[in-house]
This record gives sequence, structure tokens and C-alpha cells, in this order.
Amino acid sequence: MARAMWKGRIQLGEHEVPVKMYSAIEPQKVQFRLVHGEELSPVSQKIVRKSDGEEVPSAERLKAYPLPSGVSVILTREDLAKVEPTKSRDIALCRFVPSALLSDQWYDRPYFLGPDGDEEAYFALAQALEQKGVEGIARWVMRNKRYVGSLQAVGGYLMLVTLRRADQVVAVHNVEVPKARQPDAKELKMAEQLVAMLEGDFEPAEWKDEYRERLQSLIEAKSRGETFSVEAPRKLRAKGDLAEALEQSLNAAKEKKVA
Amino acid sequence: MPDVKKKKEVEEKSVAAARPSSHAIWSGTLSFGLVNIPVELHSAARGRQTSMRMVDADGNPLGRQYVSSSDGGELEGSEIVRAHELGEGEMVMVSDEELEEIAPDKSRDIDLRRFVPLEQIPPMHFERPYFMLPASESTKAYHLLAQTLAETGQAGIGTFVMRGHEYLVAILGDGGILRAETLRHADELRSAEDVGLPAIAKAPAKRVKALGDAIDALTESSLAVEELRDDYAESLRALAEAKAERGEGVVEIADGDEESEPEEEGGRVLDLMKLLKERLSAKAEVSTADEDGAAPKKRSEGGAKSGGAKNGDGKNGGAKGDDAQDASLSGLSKDALYEKAQALDIAGRSKMAKADLVKAIRAAS
Repeated sequence: MARAMWKGRIQLGEHEVPVKMYSAIEPQKVQFRLVHGEELSPVSQKIVRKSDGEEVPSAERLKAYPLPSGVSVILTREDLAKVEPTKSRDIALCRFVPSALLSDQWYDRPYFLGPDGDEEAYFALAQALEQKGVEGIARWVMRNKRYVGSLQAVGGYLMLVTLRRADQVVAVHNVEVPKARQPDAKELKMAEQLVAMLEGDFEPAEWKDEYRERLQSLIEAKSRGETFSVEAPRKLRAKGDLAEALEQSLNAAKEKKVA
Repeated sequence: MPDVKKKKEVEEKSVAAARPSSHAIWSGTLSFGLVNIPVELHSAARGRQTSMRMVDADGNPLGRQYVSSSDGGELEGSEIVRAHELGEGEMVMVSDEELEEIAPDKSRDIDLRRFVPLEQIPPMHFERPYFMLPASESTKAYHLLAQTLAETGQAGIGTFVMRGHEYLVAILGDGGILRAETLRHADELRSAEDVGLPAIAKAPAKRVKALGDAIDALTESSLAVEELRDDYAESLRALAEAKAERGEGVVEIADGDEESEPEEEGGRVLDLMKLLKERLSAKAEVSTADEDGAAPKKRSEGGAKSGGAKNGDGKNGGAKGDDAQDASLSGLSKDALYEKAQALDIAGRSKMAKADLVKAIRAAS
């Protein structure tokens, strides 16, 4: 049983739903450390003045905000305290939008919410969100920081996924493909056929992180003074132009389906 | 019948001419069936605009220095290697080459083995967005895949290895280009059971309805970008500007000293503009959702229309043709204008007032 990292109250109109928050992420990546020398001793960092390389203790470190004009302005601890958000336990919901309105680029980190007392209110909200097919735009203050997130029902439970801010999400516009590079109708049709042949459901459990296992084998082999190597598989290459490559791909995909 | 041999030569030549650009964080081949497309990845998410430079009381810039934990001696980057710590302090060094060699295919290829409807991917899997740009001059296959994915609303799923980690990735067609969104592996996500949430209980219909009514009262079919603005970044900037006006705490930090607080990789997304114009289209533009003033795009829709059909609010939204773009410049914040000026390499931009920036950008673009 995971420990709750925060407790809050969802505020929706006149309704209040008390919740506990849990990280939904289970880190699995193989961790690396920076080391140096033959003895592989760990590396640490210090903060120095760039002009003379002198170490600067944390009490003397300040922050400067760069203005577009090119100058920077030092913001003292007192200055920064002025823009700190007011402490609160409220998760405010001021907007609901259809699920899948937001593109993938907005979503950042997922958290599970669990009931904190009133279980009935908790499950009623999850079921209402599910019925309506919407997600809520939520704002809250946690550990002195402001957050914006999307409140969703996931498998009957409530989940809050933090969102990136408007100036973090970058888009590309007005890409016009020159005539010579535009695929023709036949190529488009074959590409669509190929996509259709490889189409399936999103089943994340099928995609095992094979690399993690190999990396662990490499590390173990090295620690025993042995070597570990993997042979590169031969890559199939199509011959000819794009249309011919598509045709060969379709044939190969058909063979695979039959086999 | 096209001259196959000649065509092939041309293709090979253009692949050879491809040079990964300095800001690409990965480059390799995207495989769609037997069609191989040389590509590179660039971040599509900027760090928050709240990053500041670390300085001392006199405004001298500070930076990080690696030191040996055994003797405190200063270390250069070349003296530092990566190691994994096994139990009891045993360190095993692994070089970048070894990290690549154990996955020779995945270090250089993303093989799209499965296609899934984009809206089927739960948002909790989305980790980081990247732009995927063509890395060769022959871009026909690239455009074909971008168009096919946008029209079918499908995402190609594959895996690749970068800096010692394997990433599951969804490749999608968005606004005429390919985008990659890294996905959390299934075992990187906890289930409600792992977390220890209680068993689902059916709530009384009356209570569900009361909450449903409250939801309906606040439901809109679109979302104004204001609701996703970074209030904290804005108040920080206002604070800094007010102090600057009073002449308090103003320091000059020598130009070219770009090091600020450690920012998420890819803070310099706007350098992409040049690459896009070179490789894809002279008209291609990069902007943030904030600058667009447009509502966030729908995930389940193909991205092909994203350049035009947006639920904009007023002058910044709507079609972004040249004229609309011109008119919208004055609606942008000075910061946004400055970044545009930077992307266009306009001289003297740091001393320009807002109106001058608008003029200079119009003249240059």
C-alpha cells in the first residue's frame, strides 16, 4: 500500500470530494551515476562563480530573471515570497471538456487520487465523469507550487494528470509540401493498406523493455570481468523507388499474416 | 517505367548529405514496412518560463563545477564516465559505445510494428513530445507517412534506445509533419491496486446525477488557452519588470553566457524554425500554444488541418496566412516577439521596444 503524498479537497460547485494523492509512476529505469578515474569514485558538484571559479555558499546564491531587453533583474528571497501562492487544500474545477480534446503534448505526470473519508462522493464523481465522457481542468497549490491538471476517470478511479503550460507546448504550422515531394494517390493508398494490415489495439504490456534486461546482463557480465555482446540483426531493405518499396512491404506483411 | 537505378543513386546521395543538426537529440531511421526514412528528434516542449540565472549578490553569474568526491579536485567533462552502482558500493562503468552496442538495431532504428488509433492511448502514458524531422533531402516517404497517419488518425508504435534507456514511442502525423510522443512502459505505471485504492463501489444514482449536473454547468466544447497560461511565470516577469523600472537589482550578464538554471532539454525549440524551412517548407512556422492564442488541439482528430482550422480567440487565432500573421504580431507579448526576432537573427533586438520589434520582424519575414 503506497503512502499518500498529499491530501486535498476537490471543489466542484457546491460539492466537495476529499482525496488523497499518490504518484502513478513506478520508476524502472536503470540508474547511472557520474564517476571518474580508475577507482570510479563518485562525482559531486559545487556551485562556483564563473569569473574566478570560487565556490559560492548557498546563502549567497541569488536568482536573476532575464528580461527580453537583455538585462536581468535580481529577485531576492523577499521578492520571491511575494509571488508565492497562498497555501490551500483545494483542487478547484472550473471547466470540463470532452475527453481527448487535449493533444498528447499537454500531458505531463499522472497521479492517482483515492478517497479520503467520503468514499461515496469519490466514486460518484468518478462515475459522473465516466458517464459524461469529459475531463476536468483542475488547479491546485501543492508544496508551495501552482499546478494545472486534468481530472479523469480511469478504470473507475480518479486520476489527475498535470498539464504543461501554454508557453511550453510548441506547434508547427504552415508546412506546405512542394509538388515534387507530394506522394501520389497510388502511394497513399498503399501506405493506408500497410497501416491497416499492421493495425491493432494499444496493448502496452506487450511492449516489454528488452533493453533494460540487456543492460542488466551487461552490467552483471562486466562485474564478473566477462563480456556481453549482441549481434546486430540484418535489416531488410527494399529495392527501387517509394512505390516499389511499399509494394514489397505489403507483400511481406501479407506473408507474415499467413505464416 | 522510372529509371530505378538512377533514382536509387539520388536517394543514397541525399542520405549521405544529411547531417544531423546540432540540436537533434537523436537521429536514426524510421522504418515503415520496408520503407526507411532517415529522421531526427527535436524537443517539442519548452522548459517553463520561470527559469532564472544563478548569480551572486553583485550579479556575477554562477555555474556548476564537477569535483571529485575523493579529493575535491575539479574535473573536466572528459574525465567523467557513467557507472551503475551494484550492491555494496560496487561500481560498474559503462561507456556510451557499450550502451549502443547492446541494442545495435534500436539505437539507430524505430521500427513501426503496430498502428493503433491515437485516442486509444491513455494520457497517463504520454511522457514527452518531440518533433521528428526528415534528416535527408528526399522527403517524399516522410510526407507520405505524415499524411497517412494524419488522415487515418492512427499512431505508429515502436521502440528506440537513447542514452542508455529504451523508449516506447508513438509516431503521429500532426500539421504536415511527424511527431513522436514517448510513452511510459506498462510497468512504469502503477495500477489502482498497486497504490492500494479501495474496491470500486457503485455510488447512489442520485449522487452521481448531482455531480453530473455540476459538471454539465461547467462543460465547454473547447478550451481557451488563457486557462492553461502560466500565471506564476507571468507574475515573476511582472515583478522583474517593476523592479527594472525602479532601477533596482538590474544587472548585465555578459551575452553568450547562456547557462541558467538547469532547464529541461530542448529549451531552444525556436532554433527549429530554420531547420523546418530548410527541410520541409519555406512557410513552416513554429509557435507555442500561448502565441497562437488557440484552443488546444483535439487528440482524436487528424492533425492535417491544424494550421488553419483552430478555435482562436480574436486576432491571434484563425487562419495563419501571411496577412493574419502580420496582424497578429502586435498581439504578441514582448517576450514572444523577442523570440521571433531571435529566430530571424535580427540585429540589435535586445535594445528594441515592442513596436520596433514588430516592425523589424515584418521587414525580415
